[in-house]
Amino acid sequence: MSQQNRLGTGGRIDRSRPLRFSFNGQTLEGFAGDTLASALLANGVDVVGRSFKYSRPRGIVAAGAEEPNAIVQLGATEAGQVPNVRATQQALYGGLVAASTNGWPNVDRDLLGVIGSVGGRMMPPGFYYKTFMAPASLWPKYEKYIRKAAGLGRTPKEKDPDIYDHINRHCDVLVIGAGPAGLAAALAAGRSGARVIVCDEQDEMGGSLLDARELVDGRPASAWVASVLAELATLPEVLVLPRTTANGYHDHNFVTLHERRTEHLADLAPSINGRRQVRARMHRVRAGEVILATGTHERPLVFANNDVPGSMVAGAVSTYIRRYAVVPGRRLVLSTANDHAYRAALDWADAGREVVAIVDAREHPEGDLVNEARARNIRIIPGSAVIEANGKKRVTGAQVARIDIGGFKVAGRVETLSCDTIASSGGYSPVVHLAAHTGARPEWRDDILGFVPGKVPGMTPVGGVHGKSAIAEALADGAAAGVAAAQRTGFKVEAPALPKVAKVREGKAAALYQVPHVKPAMRAPKQFVDPQNDVTAAGIELATREGFESIEHVKRYTGMGFGTDQGKLGNINGMAIAARCLKQTIPQTGTTVFRPNYTPITFGAIAGRHCREFFDPRRFTALHAWHVEHGAKFEEVGQWMRPWYFPRGNETMHEAVQRECRAVREGVGILDASTLGKIEIQGKDAREFLNRIYTNAWTKLDVGKCRYGLMCKDDGMVMDDGVTACIGDNHFHMTTTTGGAAAVLDWMELWHQTEWPELEVYFNSVTDHWAAMAINGPNARKLLAELTDDIDLARDNFKFMDMREGTVAGVPARVYRISFTGELSYEINVQANHALHVWKALFEKGEKYGLTPYGTETMHVLRAEKGFIIVGQETDGSMTPEDLGMQWCVGYKKPFSWIGRRALTRPDTKREDRKQLVGLKPLDPQLVLDEGAQIVLEKEIRIPMPMVGHVTSSYYSPNLGHSFALAVVKGGSQRIGQTVYLPMADGRVHAAEVVSPVFLDAEGARQNV
Amino acid sequence: MSEIAQMDLNPRGAVKSESPLAMTRVNVVLAASARDAGVVVREKPFLGHLVLRGRAEDEAFRAGVERVLGLALPLALGPVARDEARGVSLQWMSPDEWLIVVPAGLEFDAEAALRRELTGHYAVMNTSGGQTVLELTGPKVRELLMKCTPYDVHPRAFPVGKGVSSVFAKSSAVIRRVDEERWELVIRRSFADYLYRWILDAAEEFGVFVSPSESAGSVEHRMAREAAVEGR
Repeated sequence: MSQQNRLGTGGRIDRSRPLRFSFNGQTLEGFAGDTLASALLANGVDVVGRSFKYSRPRGIVAAGAEEPNAIVQLGATEAGQVPNVRATQQALYGGLVAASTNGWPNVDRDLLGVIGSVGGRMMPPGFYYKTFMAPASLWPKYEKYIRKAAGLGRTPKEKDPDIYDHINRHCDVLVIGAGPAGLAAALAAGRSGARVIVCDEQDEMGGSLLDARELVDGRPASAWVASVLAELATLPEVLVLPRTTANGYHDHNFVTLHERRTEHLADLAPSINGRRQVRARMHRVRAGEVILATGTHERPLVFANNDVPGSMVAGAVSTYIRRYAVVPGRRLVLSTANDHAYRAALDWADAGREVVAIVDAREHPEGDLVNEARARNIRIIPGSAVIEANGKKRVTGAQVARIDIGGFKVAGRVETLSCDTIASSGGYSPVVHLAAHTGARPEWRDDILGFVPGKVPGMTPVGGVHGKSAIAEALADGAAAGVAAAQRTGFKVEAPALPKVAKVREGKAAALYQVPHVKPAMRAPKQFVDPQNDVTAAGIELATREGFESIEHVKRYTGMGFGTDQGKLGNINGMAIAARCLKQTIPQTGTTVFRPNYTPITFGAIAGRHCREFFDPRRFTALHAWHVEHGAKFEEVGQWMRPWYFPRGNETMHEAVQRECRAVREGVGILDASTLGKIEIQGKDAREFLNRIYTNAWTKLDVGKCRYGLMCKDDGMVMDDGVTACIGDNHFHMTTTTGGAAAVLDWMELWHQTEWPELEVYFNSVTDHWAAMAINGPNARKLLAELTDDIDLARDNFKFMDMREGTVAGVPARVYRISFTGELSYEINVQANHALHVWKALFEKGEKYGLTPYGTETMHVLRAEKGFIIVGQETDGSMTPEDLGMQWCVGYKKPFSWIGRRALTRPDTKREDRKQLVGLKPLDPQLVLDEGAQIVLEKEIRIPMPMVGHVTSSYYSPNLGHSFALAVVKGGSQRIGQTVYLPMADGRVHAAEVVSPVFLDAEGARQNV
Repeated sequence: MSEIAQMDLNPRGAVKSESPLAMTRVNVVLAASARDAGVVVREKPFLGHLVLRGRAEDEAFRAGVERVLGLALPLALGPVARDEARGVSLQWMSPDEWLIVVPAGLEFDAEAALRRELTGHYAVMNTSGGQTVLELTGPKVRELLMKCTPYDVHPRAFPVGKGVSSVFAKSSAVIRRVDEERWELVIRRSFADYLYRWILDAAEEFGVFVSPSESAGSVEHRMAREAAVEGR
């Protein structure tokens, strides 16, 4: 085939740049400026896919976003696969590879065709639900094959090498759509100096002007488009975005635009100068004013077999002829209910091909275009419509008959016209989708037989979407709106002089949606309403008869509008049919809800750069590079990357942790504790604030002393803990859990701002400012002594829970003698920029003591040996301080109340059978219980049986020589010495003894040396 | 000890300091030189960062801050008070919070001077180790910032001199416009690696050049205590 349908002249394609492409394995040729659809039509490709349910052959119907059939799988490479691309919106490039998504195993001969041809009637609406849903367990199996056969495209199996990104934009006026109204609006607003963005989903700006028959200022309309674009390009505050679809219209004029930057160039985004180009970009636009110039979608007429390839909407025929110089057939029959569609016949005749007849539903068509057709001796059949198409893989004829629209019946004999193309037009539906995204319900207008956008604050519809489709009207409407929008955003401008466009007189359109057939809809050949989902007029009739009266229910029952095209072509027809069946008006029937995105959008564009390494921020401490160099394995704690353990050689995690645990208990270990939240508190009421935010008392804490504190929520449940040091009388350094830091600061600010604003105190996060290095173990003092000469480390001068200021390794430091391991321990805090120096100095001096870096896993084991809780591990938002055995940390005698006090004096929080923290010693000393394992009291397992608690932490301790666990158990403090049982999923039942949660050094001798 | 503990956290001896970006490796296609780059990135490490809290309506507080820093306290979101020659800036962050940036090593002196001059309910907190400054220059910086923050960086909304704190990628940053094509970001230490790599990635299409940082971390620089802060 060699572009048999291409005209020798005309169109906006570049005949000097032929492009080869492949469709369903066949190599074809088109020209630069083609869409994939226009190139396919130029080559006479009739069948582009198979239908979803009945597997009928389908051809190209439209020329824009509303195309329901020509949905292709694009991609020359596996990594470049893109499903659900509308061939009508895909620019042709050399080497493009496309395949039909509908029609496995192939479009010409297929599996479901057997079912489809045997019986439409076997698959009424609800067929899938009624047939395949039972038994439910088999649905995934059915679904797999149905989906494959129906063809919903597929995702690539290889990683997408392209990049996508987001950009935030702010503008005074956003113009969506660059047809006559949009361009006039952009020009008017742009000249005011306002910040203007004008976007259009097509490769070329201009919309309907690109295929208009009308002259604009005596020249082709496209010349005016070029002059406007040239002027817009000179305005510094105007941004023109072609190939950019406004896909979502959100609240407060926040609009997401999807710009396809390279998809018109190649399969994968090309690099320029070694720099990767962004394949698609999401513009997140916040607009002062939105001008909606989205135009209209033409409605096809719903007649029998209206899905046979060769059946198109009239406007698309014009577009293909005038814009792409492609005549998609030889002999045309036009079926219309309005004047405007006559253009298709005139364009067809201009192209030198035969117009068999114009079949007009109106008795007395009158208008300039009608007269032109008459003058050219085109046969016009009034009061009639095409009631049925003949043909299977291509239209071979049109059955035409007189119809009685009001009576919804055929009123005369049927004449068959031989033709290969049927263009139809039932009218023009304003593209209300975007406005509807905001929740504004479209409003019906009888004068234009269509829904227009409902009111959206800050949004002005112009042109076709506003019921003003004639070019002169659209230009004036757009210009006025552009001026007004600029004014509302603070800019003054005079209305631009508009070009002269001759007015085309058009007669009144008839309201025709479904065309009556000689047989009732249920018996007539299928009359398709939504070709993508194979919804027929009969299906909608059936739905209404089965009691689905709400249009939303009809939609869900039939599947109308559920396709990737969201029913752009067919929804209004469907609503009209439902209205007729329900004997009500279309506005009474209403529309379904349109939602973002307007057209399918690739996940890449949604994710932008927030993927892979940028998916979530990773926070690092000042010592991270050292940890990496020393082979640390990392654990994510919140967004922090913390060393988990430091394996040596081929050590397993278990081996490394055992070694690290012993090193701390026997020599000295070091932990990077920098991730702990740190909050600086200053002010004369700092103590009082601490008294209220913590459960324990802070009034008497001396300067230079540290205290452990528990924080409860107002329900009395533990929310965070940490050590806070008094570093000045009015100055405290609070630490929080790593994950709780931000929430604790917010919590403190909230209580301060809303409840106790009279307290003179300020807080600030200093988490990142300080690096904290905790040296733990019997040799900790000896090691520290080697690096400081201005801190007296003597046991009685620098006691447990003391803080000292001084110099460590030449760096000013605050050293806290606090311990999360139960060992002699110093936590050295220095300004983070100097931390690596101190850390390295510690290792230099620490070598002879066997200084061992350890990670969070060892930290967990060591603290658990001491029965120290981790908030979020031993607690789950339902543990009180008493439940944790920490009543020593609750100051009921504090004069002012504190957060949680009232809740902790309720009977429920005093219950003795609450879950309480205990230790578990497995009877098998090698057995490490599963964390989360449920605890029961009886060895004999039955289902159900009372579960009394669960394991919260569980480890093997080399120091104890056996495994151990922490757990919460109902009434646990009364069960010390009892044996409990832990049934496992594999049927085993473990046994453990309930013991004190403190396994090591209960008297604290090790840390008080 | 006193009511407030104040410590000079900078070492006096030979200590190698590491900025928050010390470990981050540059792994993007870089422009050959600053001249053909749309964006030039330079870290200004080791500066003194102080958070000042206090009551804006307290006249004595405002006067005290001005005496110390030689800059009037900004009372609303907008221009950052700045003395380029002395390297001191003062930025409104929230109704009772300001960010003070002083030259490297001078944060202790600045804090001490503030504490001498201020009375009543206020706070000064040193965050120098927790933050760093990235300077972005070039014709494409504004476009780069649009890829990073939802805040409007157009000259009409973000004139030279303005500073804000806003969302930046999935973290946050203080964004300051120093000049037509010169911007500063104040970013947190723990997020610095993420933000820096995000910026280089976003700037790749414009051509990005990473300029060497000032060697402000050197001992000499820290020890040199110029009269940048006018404490009396």
